[in-house]
Amino acid sequence: MIVPSETVVELSRWQFAATALYHFLFVPLTLGLSFILAAMETVYVTTGRVIYKEMAQFWGKLFAINFALGVATGLTMEFEFGTNWSFYSHYVGDIFGAPLAIEGLMAFFMESTFVGLMLFGWDRLSKAGHLSVTFLVALGSNLSALWILVANGFMQDPVGATFNPVSQRMELTSFFDLLFSHDAQSKFVHTSIAGYVTGAMFVVTISAWYLSRGRHVEMARRSLRMGALFGVFSVIGVITLGDALGFVAGSAQPTKLAAMEGMWETEPAPAPLKLIAFPSDSEQRNVGPTLELPGVAGILITHSLDKELPGIKELEKRAAERIRNGIPGMLALQRYRENPDDQAALATVREHEEDLGYAMLLMRYAPDLTQATPEQIEQAARDSIPPVWLTFWSFRLMIGLAFLMLIYLIAMATFSLSKQCAAHDFLLKISIWLLPAPFLACELGWLTAELGRQPWTVYEKLPTWISASTHSEAYLYFSLIGFTLIYLVFIVIEMFLMVKFIRQGPAGYGHGLAGGGSGTIQPVLSAPVRHEEA
Amino acid sequence: MEVYIVLKVVWWLLLGILLMGLAIMVGMDMGVGTILRYVGRTDGERRVALNIIGPHWDGNQVWFILGGGAIFAAWPVIYATAFSGLYVVMLLLLWTMIIRPVGFEYRSKLPSVAWRNAWDWGLFVSGFVPMLVFGAAMGNALQGFPYHFEWNMASVYTGSFISLFNPFAILAGLLSVSMSIFMGAAMLMNRADGPLFERSRKLLVLSGPLALLLFSIGGIWVANMQGYTLSGATPGAVSNPLDPRVVVESASGAWLTNFRAIPALWLLPLLTYASVVLGTLAGRAGKSHFAWWMGALAWIGILGTVGVAMFPFMMPSSTQAAHSLTVWNASSSEHTLVWMSLWTAVFVPAILAYTSWAFWVMRGKVSTEQVENDEHAY
Amino acid sequence: MRIIIYFLISLWLIFLGVILGDYGPWYFAWLVGTVMIVLISAAGGALMDTQLEEEQQHK
Repeated sequence: MIVPSETVVELSRWQFAATALYHFLFVPLTLGLSFILAAMETVYVTTGRVIYKEMAQFWGKLFAINFALGVATGLTMEFEFGTNWSFYSHYVGDIFGAPLAIEGLMAFFMESTFVGLMLFGWDRLSKAGHLSVTFLVALGSNLSALWILVANGFMQDPVGATFNPVSQRMELTSFFDLLFSHDAQSKFVHTSIAGYVTGAMFVVTISAWYLSRGRHVEMARRSLRMGALFGVFSVIGVITLGDALGFVAGSAQPTKLAAMEGMWETEPAPAPLKLIAFPSDSEQRNVGPTLELPGVAGILITHSLDKELPGIKELEKRAAERIRNGIPGMLALQRYRENPDDQAALATVREHEEDLGYAMLLMRYAPDLTQATPEQIEQAARDSIPPVWLTFWSFRLMIGLAFLMLIYLIAMATFSLSKQCAAHDFLLKISIWLLPAPFLACELGWLTAELGRQPWTVYEKLPTWISASTHSEAYLYFSLIGFTLIYLVFIVIEMFLMVKFIRQGPAGYGHGLAGGGSGTIQPVLSAPVRHEEA
Repeated sequence: MEVYIVLKVVWWLLLGILLMGLAIMVGMDMGVGTILRYVGRTDGERRVALNIIGPHWDGNQVWFILGGGAIFAAWPVIYATAFSGLYVVMLLLLWTMIIRPVGFEYRSKLPSVAWRNAWDWGLFVSGFVPMLVFGAAMGNALQGFPYHFEWNMASVYTGSFISLFNPFAILAGLLSVSMSIFMGAAMLMNRADGPLFERSRKLLVLSGPLALLLFSIGGIWVANMQGYTLSGATPGAVSNPLDPRVVVESASGAWLTNFRAIPALWLLPLLTYASVVLGTLAGRAGKSHFAWWMGALAWIGILGTVGVAMFPFMMPSSTQAAHSLTVWNASSSEHTLVWMSLWTAVFVPAILAYTSWAFWVMRGKVSTEQVENDEHAY
Repeated sequence: MRIIIYFLISLWLIFLGVILGDYGPWYFAWLVGTVMIVLISAAGGALMDTQLEEEQQHK
């Protein structure tokens, strides 16, 4: 049997991670900023104040710069499963392909068609017409995220599907189970709202930067107010849903959870939460000091006091058992594929169906399963645990950033709302340094979710190592270098344009107010700017 | 099981419709990219050209993305086998295509001449190369790809990527490029005046006959090349490309089998001829809207001809003919196809409706002054 | 001071969300939540102009 080489698998993983993480730099901002644009335009349409139109147009311009790269890099993603993960694509395409296609049909078409009208149609559409178009762009981009995450949810928790030995792949049995999978539900809301937080942070920090310089004050303080309110509620939502996601993973993906919590041993319920620990993947224990909050992890993850969370070592033992159980199934499957009339083989396949994925885990070390040794089984069982250190810290850093943003956004919203209180000059000045925080948090969230899923592409059904296409290594080096070069050039150009247009600020209303930035403290709300003008 | 057969054929048709949507809508935008530097001599003219398709290219491009998604959902094993087999070509396609969104959005953001020139070349590359690759892929599909499957359905591709650019594939690629130029030129004529209109007309009048010439040569070529015939397949069975009962034979001229069996199918190539001739004449007379619709019909004729010639083959294997992927052995499960059909029935009409609305909203001629005075223009 | 109160309130909200949401009807929650967030944000913007005008009248 021809399988992809270790290097090819490794490079394919790097390539996918790099292109997905890169794509995911632009997506969250689109998800959130589109709704903020819609909110701004809503104020314009309901109150008729032109400044809100100018706000929507200014932030819309930045939105477009970001959107272009999101679209461009999304193209790659749609085809990369086929180009680099062909066995995966065949094995679960019957299920996984459907949400991707529906995403195109229902969401991406809508988003892309209306974004053209949103950017070009200001003079051609009525006020209400344009507002509807903006809302459709926002809705479309978030529905896109919905279907992508339904597909991703299947990778995390493969429900609504079963293995078919005749077609030698998994096939859909229940569309509803797929769509309403707990993982898909909580992950979609978590991710979409993470996008809202990103959009809000983008608007708030940049507005704060203008205010700290005394530029575009009228526009900036309104944007800051709207962004901060948008952000506060979003960040509360994102943390809540993050917990829901942990709860779902707790039952669906015990290995991911154990890695996220650095739990090598099964601890008596309710398990303590490790705030700080230094897991060592090679030694299979936490080295150095550990800071624990007793009982918290058990309560947060199981939402109970008495449910036990299995530790990594116990999970390894369970994996070894399932590998042993998978071997006869896989051998029977091979016999059945060679002779479709072998009913006895088919019966054996059915009996061991649940553990075929585990047998594939072993095939990495023992291509001929009849010759598998206990050492190889142990090796494969050890593979069933994701990289602990990375998952543990990606997760913690993400949460840390979320709470940092919570505090920051609450502070900004409070200052913006209070009538007499000026925002602290200091807070306005440091604001811009918080701009990377939401983007970083999103990337770390992706890492937590997808590293924690390892060694599977489809949890417990299909291992990553066998999912890749059987390419030559040269192909992979070629594509990886190509992507790196192109994407580097693009990001440099994008950042350049973004910074340029942010510095330039909005044309129109706020423009004449530039140049007041001589270090004076600009009250967020009560600046008598209009009097100066008059 | 009858339902399953119908579903498979429906999804074969839907894939065809998607490819047609892709060829017509994305092809038009790419044609504009290809001819941008020729039809637009000044920066103002080029901006007019870009702004004519500016509000629509993004929506149109979704035909391409949806094409990928639909193949994945309805024909997963083709998605897996074709895109991994054509790895380098796919990268070429993706890398050139991702220049487009960025090119449109960023080109006119800076005043520098060198900057804009660079993006104009970028838009040329991202118009010309993908259309060449689309066409070449169709050409290669007619000739078969060198691949086979392991017992566990892992696909193994044994060809080199250079061999994908064989003479017939390049011919097909050029056909698709010339059709895209035809459509792009017609679109520019629809919404531009003056020199831009005149130069586009010149290109339209050239590209129409060129497309017909290439289509004719290709037709003669196909009539004599190695085609495939299928026997022993069970159309309603669970998809399994390794079914031992299937026999695939190859013979030169076998791609005409369907035409011999059903002579009415000759209407498809005939449609291509008629619509290109009419479209070119209309274009010459300045009736570009009519020419555009004729171009769209021509695409339907071309892709329809290829599709029915190959039916039920979708992706024949040139090295292990029995593993060839067909309408009967490469589809998704019945359950998936049912669901996908429901979604398609709801949303494709909606897409057509709001796309038409978007074109209607943005109707009318685009002028240089208009573009230069509009802050939102590309 | 006020910030700390708001922070505590938000922590309380998160805690409530955690208690209520095991396998919540999340899609529905998203719909409601998104509408709510957009409206609050828009109302906050509109309120600002009212505040500003009031202040001008005072002066």
